[in-house]
Amino acid sequence: MIETIYVEEAIQNHPRTKFILKKFKKSRIISIYKYGEIFNKKNQNFRIQKANPCLILAHKKDNFVLPAPEGFGIGSSKNFYFSHMYNCIYDCRYCFLQGMYSSANYVIFVNFEDFDIAIKKTIKKNINSKLTFFSGYDCDSLALESVTGFAKHILSIFRIYPQIEIEFRTKSIQKEPFLSMKPMQNVILAYSLMPELISNSLDNKAPSISKRIRVISELASKGWRIGLRFDPLIHSKNWKELYKELLEYVYNNISLNCLHSVSFGSLRFPKRMFKNIFKLYPNELLFTSPLSLNNKMISYDIEIEEEMTSYCKNLSLKYINEDQIFKCSI
Amino acid sequence: MNNFKIKKTSIRWVVALKEEAQIILEHFKLKAVNEKTIYPIYKNEQETHWLIISGIGRSNAAASTAYLYSFSKASKYTSWVNLGIAGSDKGNYGELYLVDKISSYQGKKSTYPSTIPKTYLPKMHLFTSDIPISDYSTYELIDMEGSAFFDIASKLTSKEFICLMKVISDGPENDIKEITKSKISNLIKENLLKIINVISYYERLSEEEFQITKKPELFYAIKSKWHFTAAQSFKLEFLLRRIEVYCNNRDLEEKIKSCKTSHSVIDVLNSKIKKNIVNWSKF
Repeated sequence: MIETIYVEEAIQNHPRTKFILKKFKKSRIISIYKYGEIFNKKNQNFRIQKANPCLILAHKKDNFVLPAPEGFGIGSSKNFYFSHMYNCIYDCRYCFLQGMYSSANYVIFVNFEDFDIAIKKTIKKNINSKLTFFSGYDCDSLALESVTGFAKHILSIFRIYPQIEIEFRTKSIQKEPFLSMKPMQNVILAYSLMPELISNSLDNKAPSISKRIRVISELASKGWRIGLRFDPLIHSKNWKELYKELLEYVYNNISLNCLHSVSFGSLRFPKRMFKNIFKLYPNELLFTSPLSLNNKMISYDIEIEEEMTSYCKNLSLKYINEDQIFKCSI
Repeated sequence: MNNFKIKKTSIRWVVALKEEAQIILEHFKLKAVNEKTIYPIYKNEQETHWLIISGIGRSNAAASTAYLYSFSKASKYTSWVNLGIAGSDKGNYGELYLVDKISSYQGKKSTYPSTIPKTYLPKMHLFTSDIPISDYSTYELIDMEGSAFFDIASKLTSKEFICLMKVISDGPENDIKEITKSKISNLIKENLLKIINVISYYERLSEEEFQITKKPELFYAIKSKWHFTAAQSFKLEFLLRRIEVYCNNRDLEEKIKSCKTSHSVIDVLNSKIKKNIVNWSKF
């Protein structure tokens, strides 16, 4: 239940604003001038806000499409990302968003059409390159789909460009708009996974791993291409058993023909973000792990990282080809 | 900072008039402080609640908020409360409202206080004026202190720790000239239960924040035995916070008792955390 919705004056009459507000009839609507008046101001407490986040409806002015950081790709020569939303409805303790913004409120940009224009321009400018776009870098790309309809909207652009890939990265079990559409071969539905036991402690408010796998299996059986993102890999006492069980279960329960890619990423935080996150949750079990500073990133020791990645990779090679496996390093 | 002096619960009240404060002083058993102060200040025996009578107007509200912060050695996790009467023609006479938006002539931009979550209490947009206003039609709630209080309080703590509560005292049907001291006291008194309910949320909030941000139990004990530089103190706190989650203090004290220097204490703690393997099945 969202108790308060802040709406920028300029978009109060935007059809998408009205569409979204219809879904929150009991919420208090407060008019604001700019979303920056509320979002990410210094004097805010992320942890307290996260317990009861507000929604902010805003108009995005620029930076609709941005180059993805290096190490974010899944095989294309050029990678871009866009975010129609800032922040996430889930509360995963390893998520960099906790340290990125001082505010836990959700911002939704309603001017989707400006994303369309920017995406088309980017495609035109890079027509000779293999491109992948990523939706959901600053949010979960599908978690609020029933409210925003963004994925459904943006798919219509990618239908025109079947050679351009788009990845929706998510933990949600949102099946629409995909289930009621004809599968598109340039769309990758990428799911973040970790052993259920660890997820129960860290993926707060997110659907369980077993539910995610059921949805993956259903969408794969309909012909949608699936990405599996074991990112971050979380170290623990019996991590080998836990990851073996998870990987084997996933590979045995989805149609491997529909598997686009699998990626593995170690637990990592930029130093500044880690500082912010640790301040918010100093008693978090995750931070009792053997973490240290390596190349401006807080992460497990390199030996742990390499052992976990190669173990999971080797297990995966029994089911998939090496060229389907990628490393997430950002 | 004076963190070590702060009590677990920490509430600071900024109230314009003695009549508005009267029932709060009585309920929380606040007594005048035994010192000469610029504004009248009251506190309870445990020093968890402090109240300042600011007087009317924005300047008084701003100055008294800053003064109370300094005088009472308030902390980052102190909750700040502004309680008072307000004019309105939108709300009901005598009813308590929470404030979630504030405007004033002076500020170009509005400000947006947080409010207690999951409450049945109604919320309104407050306009803070420098002069009494008799035309109530433009704004939901009108007072003379709220914006200045919020501007200062939000420099002292996160906005989630700030609360503005207003009881409607005048409007088109209730002439501002008819407000008397006893009417003011009664208006607040009639809302006391709601006010206590709101305050209990902020008491909990400041206590939880205290628990989260307080230094680890062993921090001062260790620092008193070895000399730590500022950078080492930071490391020590960081390591202790993490180790405390899974290791009891007695074991830890045993491990470091033979250390000769602060450097070796940090080494011992570092190796302790390096060896920790989380067992998620326990949790």
